[in-house]
Amino acid sequence: MIDKRLFRLPGTKRLLLMLAGLTFLQAFVILFQGKYLADALVNSWQMKPLQSIMLPVTLFAVAFVVRHLLNLLNTKIVQYYSGKMSEEIRSQLLDKVYNSGPQMISERGTGNLVTASLDGIDLVENYFKLIFTKMMNMSIIPPVLLVYIYFQNIASGITLTIIVPLIILFMIILGLAAQSKADEQYAQYTILSNHFLDALRGLPTLKMLGLSKRYVKNIYTVSDEYRRRTMNTLRIAILSTFALDWLTTLGIAILAVFLGLGLINNQLPLFPALVTLILAPEYFLPLRDFSSDYHATLDGKNALTNILSILERRDTEDTDKLDKLTWDKDSSLEINNLQFNYSDEEKADAVSLDVDHLKLSGYHHIGVIGKSGSGKSTLIRVIGGFLTPEHNSNITINGQKVPHFTQRNWQKELTFLPQSPYLFSGTLAKNIAFYRPEASQEEIENAADKAGLKDFINTLKDGYETMIGEGGRGISGGQQQRIMIARAFLANDRHILIFDEPTAHLDIETEYALKKPMEELFKNHLVIFATHRLHWIKEMDYVVVMDDGEIVEQGTPKELGSHEGAYSDLIENMRGDTL
Amino acid sequence: MNFFKTFKHDTWVKPYIKQYKGLLISVLILGFFTVLCATGLMFTAGYTIDKAATHPYNILLIYVPIILTRGFGIGRPVIKYIERLRSHNWVLKITSDLRTRLYKTLESDASFFNEHHKAGDIMGLLSEDINHLQDLYLRTVFPTVIAYIVALVASIAMGFFNPSFGFFVLLLCVVEIVIVPLVSVAIESARRERQKALKSDLYTKLTDNILGVDDWVISGREDDFKKLSASTIAELDASKDKSKAFRRNRDFVLQFIFAVIMIVMLIFTNIHMTQNQEMANFTAAVFLAALQLSDTFVPVSQGFEEWPQYRDSINRLNTVQPVEPNLPEQVELDPKDFNGLDLENVSFEYSSDSPILIKNFTQKITKGEKLALLGPSGIGKTTILQLILGDLIPQKGTITVNDLNVQQIQDHREQIFSVLNQNPFLFNTSVMNNVRLGNEDKSDSEVKEALARVGLKDLLDSLPDKYNTSVGENGSRFSGGEQERIALARILLQDAPVVLLDEPTVGLDPITENALLETFFDVLKDKTIIWVTHHLQGVNHVDQVVFVTDEGIEMQGAPDDLYRTNSHFKELYEMDAGLEAD
Repeated sequence: MIDKRLFRLPGTKRLLLMLAGLTFLQAFVILFQGKYLADALVNSWQMKPLQSIMLPVTLFAVAFVVRHLLNLLNTKIVQYYSGKMSEEIRSQLLDKVYNSGPQMISERGTGNLVTASLDGIDLVENYFKLIFTKMMNMSIIPPVLLVYIYFQNIASGITLTIIVPLIILFMIILGLAAQSKADEQYAQYTILSNHFLDALRGLPTLKMLGLSKRYVKNIYTVSDEYRRRTMNTLRIAILSTFALDWLTTLGIAILAVFLGLGLINNQLPLFPALVTLILAPEYFLPLRDFSSDYHATLDGKNALTNILSILERRDTEDTDKLDKLTWDKDSSLEINNLQFNYSDEEKADAVSLDVDHLKLSGYHHIGVIGKSGSGKSTLIRVIGGFLTPEHNSNITINGQKVPHFTQRNWQKELTFLPQSPYLFSGTLAKNIAFYRPEASQEEIENAADKAGLKDFINTLKDGYETMIGEGGRGISGGQQQRIMIARAFLANDRHILIFDEPTAHLDIETEYALKKPMEELFKNHLVIFATHRLHWIKEMDYVVVMDDGEIVEQGTPKELGSHEGAYSDLIENMRGDTL
Repeated sequence: MNFFKTFKHDTWVKPYIKQYKGLLISVLILGFFTVLCATGLMFTAGYTIDKAATHPYNILLIYVPIILTRGFGIGRPVIKYIERLRSHNWVLKITSDLRTRLYKTLESDASFFNEHHKAGDIMGLLSEDINHLQDLYLRTVFPTVIAYIVALVASIAMGFFNPSFGFFVLLLCVVEIVIVPLVSVAIESARRERQKALKSDLYTKLTDNILGVDDWVISGREDDFKKLSASTIAELDASKDKSKAFRRNRDFVLQFIFAVIMIVMLIFTNIHMTQNQEMANFTAAVFLAALQLSDTFVPVSQGFEEWPQYRDSINRLNTVQPVEPNLPEQVELDPKDFNGLDLENVSFEYSSDSPILIKNFTQKITKGEKLALLGPSGIGKTTILQLILGDLIPQKGTITVNDLNVQQIQDHREQIFSVLNQNPFLFNTSVMNNVRLGNEDKSDSEVKEALARVGLKDLLDSLPDKYNTSVGENGSRFSGGEQERIALARILLQDAPVVLLDEPTVGLDPITENALLETFFDVLKDKTIIWVTHHLQGVNHVDQVVFVTDEGIEMQGAPDDLYRTNSHFKELYEMDAGLEAD
């Protein structure tokens, strides 16, 4: 119910103490409210004049207003706290994304992280409200009222005491019944509830198949079936609310009867009876409040657990083990026994990596090929420092041993060109100057020119100051790749280029046009190029063939092409029949 | 006020309130009775105690109120239970009608998909909108209407004793459940809208942040990375804080007004009900009953608050209007008689202010011919397919099948054309059912045969549920290549003479692509094929290659002729196949 980690968050204990004090005050104000109200009503019942009730009425009104003021204060404090807390959490999340981001993202998925930092945080705020306000109310207000009621009338006190465990028992039993009923129907249920959306999305297909008109009947039938099933489940699901309602109203009814009989038999005066009756609904109120959105706020708990598990994930350590590096024609990188496994069970079937030996040096151009799922991307991402390999991996850069590639000084030498380019929202110039924000306009234009962007930019009304939509939407794939290339040209202080299938989605003529600037870019760089487009292999002077996470063959294209082997097989399969 | 503007031309809410009227009225009556029982319980309980305090000589005198107390005590939860069930039942019935209508409307408008496919997941939005309408009824309309009835009945009951008191209480109720809610919508509406915009902005920014994290990490610009979304987060939080503060204060004001109503009630009971003991016995009853009404009144404002969201949904649904089909007289064309497709001087633009997408495009395709259409993205290759299908109508030129304008054969066009695109849609049901959609008259064994022809027999036989395996949401149970194959089997059953392929292999790796293309051209060898593709893999299967650019047709011809005679084609082809000389 309560995540213990909650109490370790800073400021929580002070908050709880403060709220406990406020809630105690509130409990007593509720008592006063009931007491003065009873006073006023007793006086009216005794047919005393208006003046006689003015004081109790005023005090009642004051208590009523103070009660809600306290409530306001309580909400304000909790909201302030949860607002600050979610701000803190969100900022930590972004830190986390940056510091151990790439690996974590590949484990958790982009959607999950975005949802966690947006909707998840809203849910957490609700959860705080449940825990801090409603739980507190439930554990402080009823006991205080109950003690007072015992002093007024013992029998009423006993009645109210007995009902609470009954309510909880019933709610648990019915809650479980509803749960099992819901579980039973769940699979069918989701299919039915998604059926409509499925049909809408499939409408063009239905139309192509000439079925769209006939399908109308199906929409209604399924929707009605969904209604029937929902009603069946609902009948049981809302029974627990029913039980709560029923026991509380019944409790009040029984109380009224007992009090009535007690009054007739002259066992007690009117005031204690009336005050007990007035306080009885207040006694049940915190319980009802708590249970009314108990289920909704459980989502908040899950959201919090999710966020905390992200935050508690350990950052990659030892990111400063590599001395300042400037890659040149004499530099070298040696990898022995490189292993990588996805830790997440869901990704168990994703490619793990097991590389015996690989040596890269100088300004070589290394092609990484293999069929899809062979581990090309995993290898590239390990070398880029986006994934952290197992501890026993042996990596040496320029003679210096490092535990992994997530080294600040290594990454400062890299330029990464992925399959889907990442353009952030900002001007075109700023996007080109991504790696070197301080570059001059002249340098930017120079880089754009080399990437073949000049003509395109000249057609734009705002030229280099054109805002590029988020993620580069509105710019064709070819131009997006050119912007990436311009970026790489401008970053001439980085000497290692890593490509991950940069032209996979482009049409043949665009790819053709890109080839020249890319070849120009390759010069004086170490190039690591994962691809399944055959023509790039011609530009490489060393090829690594991957299969099932291992390097099955490596060598110059000439060597590999001269004999039967993994390389020749792969090329033949990829090429297919030719003209 | 935009409230009335929203409903002025509304056809998605108003008409349906009249539907299932009996059920609706029963829901409202039951809602009223729930409140009645809650107040009744405290009324009779209060009376029982006051009456008992007069020490009546006979216990039977409080017998009736005791019975009533129990009755109300049991009645409240029971009626509330029934009310909740009935209201859900009503709403879900309406939902079925709304869904059917939305489907029919969208079905009538083929161009809808073309115009809206850019606007993101419009289908997801529309189907969400219908769910929002459910909440509109359950969380706003029903509670509000019931609160209004209760307020009216209570004020009239008081007015019966003393008209001025009744009027005063009515006035306070109006402030509590009409004025404050309206004011709170007026104040919060703009703010909510801003928050919604900020939130979706933040959603994109965070997604970008996360998608681009590789680049940011390499660039070493950690501070800039965090700054990217910081200002939006700050603005959103500030706005939300304002909303929260507003809500807190508003709820306090509501309670304050309620306190005034309660004071009025206390004074009223003291003045009017203290003439004799019998009446005085009712003072506590009346007051305690009135005290219960805050549960009915306070939620009204909360319900109103959600209005902006409902308004957006209602407005969006109202933009979806049925389209009257404007087709010429339809002609039956026997698929066996198909002998060719003719595009003559076709020009097309989406609207007069957008650039001309297709300029004087002429192409003749004879029966059995296989044609590949290449060109950069955004050049209108897919548009050409839509023109051929008749979903779009060219501004200039004609498209004819045999000698018939394509618009004349729309009624049974599925008999002439079948389509396979890059993300073929699979319904969340079994493989068998998905394939059979191609032709519902085919037997199980014919469906299985089609699946065997597209090379899925071994795979399906190896699965525990075999042919009844569910494809999952959007076909996610199967890989991209397998989904294409399932869709291809569906087309085989459909057995139309013309097959339009719209980049069916984009995003697949070359080995899968090759295998798939082999299968396509093998099983479809008798068909006329128009194949949009983005590179030259598999182009050896076609008779004719057409390269389009924004200037028109760049080059065209049989692939091996082009290879011999056109140096640009040769270069492209060799690059694509990795054959070029060093």
